[in-house]
Amino acid sequence: MKVLVVDDEPIVLKSCRMVLEAEGFEVMMAGSVQEALAAIEAHAPGLLLVDVKMPVLDGMYLMRQVRERRPGMPIIVMSGYSTRDTIREALDLGAATFIAKPFTPDELADTVRSVLKTREKEEGHEDEKNSGH
Amino acid sequence: MLYSTRSKLIAGFLGVSLLVATVSLFIGVRILDQHVFGEARNRVRQDLNAVSEMYLTRVKHIKTSLGITTLGFAFISSLREKNAAELVLRLERMAKLADLDFAGIVLDDGSTLCRTGPNALPAAGASVENPIVRPVLDSRIPVSGTLVLDSDFLIAENPYLAERARIPFTVGDDPALRSGKEEKSGMVMAAAVPVFEGNLLIGVLYGGMLLNRSETLVDTVRGTVFQGETYKGRNVGTATIFLGDARISTNVMTADGQRALGTRVSPEVREHVLGKGKLWTDRAFVVSDWYITAYQPIEDIFDKRVGMLYVGVLEDKYEDIRRETLAVYILITVAGMLLAVGLGYLVANRISAPIRRLINASQQVSEGSLTPELGAPEKGEIGVLQKTFREMVAAVGRQRATSEAHIIHSQKQASVGRLAAGVAHEINNPLTGVLTYTHMLLRRTDLVPEIRSDLQTIVEATERVRKIVKGLLDFSRQTKLDPEPTDINRLVTASIALVEYQALGRGVALKFSPGESLPELIVDRSQIQSVIINIIINALDATGPGGAIRVFTAAGLTSREVGRKGVEITIADTGCGIPSENLDKLFEPFFTTKVVGQGTGLGLAVSLGIVQRHGGRIRVQSEIGKGSRFFIWLPAGGKAEHESAGG
Repeated sequence: MKVLVVDDEPIVLKSCRMVLEAEGFEVMMAGSVQEALAAIEAHAPGLLLVDVKMPVLDGMYLMRQVRERRPGMPIIVMSGYSTRDTIREALDLGAATFIAKPFTPDELADTVRSVLKTREKEEGHEDEKNSGH
Repeated sequence: MLYSTRSKLIAGFLGVSLLVATVSLFIGVRILDQHVFGEARNRVRQDLNAVSEMYLTRVKHIKTSLGITTLGFAFISSLREKNAAELVLRLERMAKLADLDFAGIVLDDGSTLCRTGPNALPAAGASVENPIVRPVLDSRIPVSGTLVLDSDFLIAENPYLAERARIPFTVGDDPALRSGKEEKSGMVMAAAVPVFEGNLLIGVLYGGMLLNRSETLVDTVRGTVFQGETYKGRNVGTATIFLGDARISTNVMTADGQRALGTRVSPEVREHVLGKGKLWTDRAFVVSDWYITAYQPIEDIFDKRVGMLYVGVLEDKYEDIRRETLAVYILITVAGMLLAVGLGYLVANRISAPIRRLINASQQVSEGSLTPELGAPEKGEIGVLQKTFREMVAAVGRQRATSEAHIIHSQKQASVGRLAAGVAHEINNPLTGVLTYTHMLLRRTDLVPEIRSDLQTIVEATERVRKIVKGLLDFSRQTKLDPEPTDINRLVTASIALVEYQALGRGVALKFSPGESLPELIVDRSQIQSVIINIIINALDATGPGGAIRVFTAAGLTSREVGRKGVEITIADTGCGIPSENLDKLFEPFFTTKVVGQGTGLGLAVSLGIVQRHGGRIRVQSEIGKGSRFFIWLPAGGKAEHESAGG
């Protein structure tokens, strides 16, 4: 399972990679929205871990783009500064869930796993729906 | 606009004084008229009485003169002898002494023996009926009075008299308008006295004065009754004897200084005096001037009204008195009005000056000054206004200070908040690194115990930093309120439920006594709950086992805002209390008395922020060793729109 982590802060990228690789995920890193979009095209990840606040183009923009290009891609939004509004906006834009920085490795792993599990279930239902059609 | 106040005042003064002046002028003039002319009329009437007396006296004088003559022995014997020539001489002498125009003797058979004048010795049989004598012959007693003698008699008696009696009439009062007719009869004052020898009537002596064209009586009147008084070259007093309605003897002058003989009296007067025999007093235009006049009828010896007696006083004199008085009166009135206007101006200024100053002061205040010039303190309502104005300015000043303080405070808060948020955000990224790496390290199995425990220390420290940053973010967040209608008792109950367990664990009794009839609040439930919990937790931390925390709710007014209703939540503990020097700093961010690692010191600051954003207040009372009480006041119905941003 490929996971794309998007954050302008290198230490965050490295931390996420360390944690997720320990969980057995293949981790790609992008330091900006452009890099992220390129990576999505190139590697088609199964999960996105996005920082909300990034300079120039922020996470929200990225999410809108992803929604257009890859609807159905689960996105986890993370931020060090989470107001109720940003959270709501993120969720409205299709984020699966939200995680607040700083987080412990366990917190991150749990969140990722639960999102993927929910996704599987949904896809399963979809398949059922499709096949039942 | 101030000028209109002043103008109004002046106009008021002017109006009032004008009104008073007009009314008093009106009344005064009437009174003046009544007095002056009333007096004049009275005087004229009195003068008429006097003239009337003089007239009658003259008549009596004639009678007396004749009477005395008839007593003379020589006279009687001459009469007996019918010595006409001698008698004529006597008659002439008598006439001269008594000022008679005619005199004569009539015999007992009615024939005229002799007379004064050119027809002294009439031929026998050529007699004309003598109207004066006839009644005497009949009654044998003297007769005297006024009489009108026709022209025939006059001609017979003395042609000169007849000539004198002729007075051409005018039309009406205008001496210039001759009617073409003329008076031929003569009005006389006459008497006739019987002459007796023993009991035998031997004759009648008669004599009289022709009033037509006579000047003596009227001029005597002027000289005595009116004392010859003149006014501006004209006679003040005039007198007239009328035959019928025509003037036959008068000193009323025409414009060219002639006696106005033959002029007629007005039909009114004729009607009133000759017709009805009544007295007349009024002002009238007589020939060429206005007079105050009085008329009375003259009756002849047969009691028939044959003429009028007139007296008149020049109105001019009185008119001038009247005019002068009026002028003085008007002058005083005008002077009074001017004075009133002047006074009004002064008063208006006196009043408008402080008002103008107040207006200026208002402008100064609106331009930002807090020390406006009000001027010297006044008495009365304006003084009160000044005082109130000053208090208002002071209140404005205080209000401004408070709002400025609020604004500064909220700006400070905002910038601190922004700073905090920025810092927190920045810290969070590297903190993520530290946390994750340390945790990952701890997962390794090849760690020496010392290293493991050291890493553990780092984790704990990092956790603390995380909490601090989170607390800082919470504090700076100023989360938007999501207000809902809330039953505060229910909210408190829910909050207590969350901390009950903790209280129990520490051996502290936690009791809630809900108040009744509380107004509904509109608040962000979760935020207020966090405030309540925060304060209860603080109370718990301060209270040792066996202590108690009591929570009350009650409807209350806040002392800060008059009449604002709300709910007060009281959290009282029996803990160690807060020293007074700490009470001020209690709500400052990062202020804490707790042991390091226990609290961040942000709780109360955040709580205060939440409560304030709801438009409420937090108060603290505390006593060392006894306990503390926190009072949270929240407004009923939610925060008002007018409250300021910093409130």
